[in-house]
Amino acid sequence: MKKRGRGLGCAWYGTGYGNGFPDVSSAFVEIHDDGSVSVLTGAIDVGQGSSTIFAQIAAEELGIDADEVTVISGDTDTTPDSGTSAATRHTYNTGNAVIKAVTQAKAGLLAYAARALHCTSADGIELKDHRVRVKGEPARSLPLAEVVSQARLDGERFLGSESYTARTTRVNPETGQGSPYWPYAFGCQVAEVEVDTETGNVRVLKVVAAHDLGKAINPLQAEGQIAGGIAQGVGFALLEEVQLSEGQIKNPSLSQYLIPTVLDTPEIHAILVEEPEETGPYGAKGLGEPAMLPTIAAIVNAIDDAVGVRITSLPATPEKILAALAGPSKT
Amino acid sequence: MKIELKVNGVDRRLEVEPEERLLDILRERLHLTGTKEGCGEGECGACTVIMDGKTVNSCMVLAGQADGHAVTTIEGLGKRGSLHPVQKAFLEEGAVQCGFCTPGMVLSAKALLDRNPHPGKEEIAVAMSGNLCRCTGYDRILKAVERAAGEVEQ
Repeated sequence: MKKRGRGLGCAWYGTGYGNGFPDVSSAFVEIHDDGSVSVLTGAIDVGQGSSTIFAQIAAEELGIDADEVTVISGDTDTTPDSGTSAATRHTYNTGNAVIKAVTQAKAGLLAYAARALHCTSADGIELKDHRVRVKGEPARSLPLAEVVSQARLDGERFLGSESYTARTTRVNPETGQGSPYWPYAFGCQVAEVEVDTETGNVRVLKVVAAHDLGKAINPLQAEGQIAGGIAQGVGFALLEEVQLSEGQIKNPSLSQYLIPTVLDTPEIHAILVEEPEETGPYGAKGLGEPAMLPTIAAIVNAIDDAVGVRITSLPATPEKILAALAGPSKT
Repeated sequence: MKIELKVNGVDRRLEVEPEERLLDILRERLHLTGTKEGCGEGECGACTVIMDGKTVNSCMVLAGQADGHAVTTIEGLGKRGSLHPVQKAFLEEGAVQCGFCTPGMVLSAKALLDRNPHPGKEEIAVAMSGNLCRCTGYDRILKAVERAAGEVEQ
């Protein structure tokens, strides 16, 4: 018989290296005389989309389009170190470094523009729609490219070179007190499963996933991170197990270590919760790794809801479920 | 041994070793590096190419077995500015993350749509099930193939 059930899983996750370990990201920025921008960071985009995020950030700060920003990343010959693409840290940590570097490059530009537009203070200047404008007086404005190229002829260069360090402390081993991670990511998911009581096979039909990411700088990418996390969570919950024998991995290939295919993945509905993280770029914080965590608990709870057995070791294979079903009922 | 095959519409004559795979000659001799080697044992689908209208794992085909056949690789689809509808749909749906599975995914989708321009959801999923992806959760990939099917229809 096929029985359906639903389960909830919740997770919180400390992003960044944590425990006071130096968590530093760096960025170089140059505003060019055609109004385009280069951003150099050591952050490697492995598909999560960090380079796109940095282009969006620089564009937002300078009032230009993201495709006018050239992001050069992960080249030890040319880019400053931004640490690893790990710990769900680049949007937050390297994003903050990019904002700081752009702000530095922009400060010189605003000061120059204030003089060019006869404005008493650089605070009165804003960059919007490819133009340098006096705030509140849109008529007093110049094209960004014109200002930068004129400045260049006057011998001025608009450069930024900055770093950002996440603030964490080691935990006191005596008291357990400290601030080991910052920021924390939160998420919860509900999974609906169908369990075949004859075979023990579990199909995950649907997962609804709500994740607090502070601010979705790129909602499409955020949904992609959530969907990818759920697929890995399905694998973790139902399929994947590294089998060891005397220190050797017994299943080191994709024919023995099964990961989800398109036929194993559920319908996914992502909910982006934007509760601003004050120290993050535009309130943003990381999302990548946390997206797979609630999936596992949600699926195990849904199995319990469907057939009344509690699986306490992963993966929840058909063998374990059948054994649990054959055993004494927990109620 | 000498083999003759058509790759992306161009006739090729090659002198190959008996143990060379189709994947090897595409990447190493013809420098068509869009075809990726993932597992090398026919499980992941990263090396998918189309041979005589059917998808094959090019790691499981000996070069000699490709003699006299027509092979399409990802380089044989669209170019920048004139993308194949499947490639366009992958871009528009955001169906790409790290990109390693993407050439194989696109070719599996193309082979499906060439065979059946109006596939249902189930048929799409089955056709794409030989291509593993660790990043996307397949969600956007399915949407992209559905979108491409809609556009091929028009």
